[in-house]
Amino acid sequence: MSFTWGTMLFQVVAILILMFLLKRYALGPVMKVMNERSEHIEQQITTAEQNRAEAEKLVAEQKEALSQARQEAKDLLERARAQKEREAEEIIRDARERAERLISEAKSEIISEKEQAIQELRDEVGTLSVMLASKMIEKEIKAKDQSALVKKYLNQVGELQ
Amino acid sequence: MESTPKVEFLNMTFDLTIIIGTTVTCLIVFLISVLATRGLSRVPRGLQNLVEMAIDFVRGITRMTYDNKTADKYVVFSYTLFMFILVANQLGIFLMVTMHADQPFPALGIAEDDHVAWFKSPTADLSVTLAMAVAVALYTHIVGIRSGMKNYLGHYLTPLGPIHLIEEFSKPLTHGMRLWANIFAGEILITIMITEGSPLITGAPVIVWMGFSLFVGAIQAYIFTVLANVYISQKMAH
Repeated sequence: MSFTWGTMLFQVVAILILMFLLKRYALGPVMKVMNERSEHIEQQITTAEQNRAEAEKLVAEQKEALSQARQEAKDLLERARAQKEREAEEIIRDARERAERLISEAKSEIISEKEQAIQELRDEVGTLSVMLASKMIEKEIKAKDQSALVKKYLNQVGELQ
Repeated sequence: MESTPKVEFLNMTFDLTIIIGTTVTCLIVFLISVLATRGLSRVPRGLQNLVEMAIDFVRGITRMTYDNKTADKYVVFSYTLFMFILVANQLGIFLMVTMHADQPFPALGIAEDDHVAWFKSPTADLSVTLAMAVAVALYTHIVGIRSGMKNYLGHYLTPLGPIHLIEEFSKPLTHGMRLWANIFAGEILITIMITEGSPLITGAPVIVWMGFSLFVGAIQAYIFTVLANVYISQKMAH
């Protein structure tokens, strides 16, 4: 085993050249890409975190808005139901009132009609009874009168004679 | 022990086997890394995952030793060291080319009847591992001086100064030799088991040992990288 200075020199020079060439054509570009990648990943991670925070905020907002909307809808429904009940009651009351009014009107009309009918009947009965009475009287008078007249006439005839 | 083809140039000896091994290793590392990073996308696909995994692993090593800002500066350095040593360690386990020289070949320093290795792990050679360890050690001193001369020198002027001084030599030595010894031992044992004795006896052990060598190769690549980073960070001003 011997030292050969030429070999040693060649070795060192070869390594230096290899180092230079590797840096120039292989490692330089690769390391640049690797650095770019790690930067890119870091950036992506920060962006993703930001996005997530934003999304969470939005979700919370949406949730709040949703619950608010739900509450509003509930209120609205409640109000509508109350109004409906009130209106229904009113309608029923109106209907009842009207019905009562109609009934009372009808009653009073019936009463007045009845009275009128009774009056009319009474009048009729009066007339009829008068008529009947006059007829009956006339008939009595007629028979009596006739005979009396006959007698009188006969008497007169007799006297005159 | 096999000899290796060597070339003299500018008064220096170049080991051809190592140069081939190092070049092949560098090419494999470079091609894997470049092919994996064609058509880069923010969402990783296929081989890109593999290289990113390796980068993350290496970044883990640097994060252990430096503060986060400095750590990214040493990722390329650590990745190169780790991948080179890892690939180099595993290469020799699967591919070793040896030749028997019938004739001497003086131009490459090959004698007659030599066993000549043409391809093996570059990290199984002490020159390679020590070269890297010493280069790292020199770099640590540069870092130390740049981050404060007073602090750098003051370190050696304490009562424990001489020990620190010795440490400065023992650190690269152990740093390089640890890697070399592990890989070298692995290859030697594989070579012996394959070349000597009946395959019926050594067949099963060699497979087990190759598996273990793969594991050791990965561990040593990791250790070398971690230690290099630790040595550098030790010299930084605290």
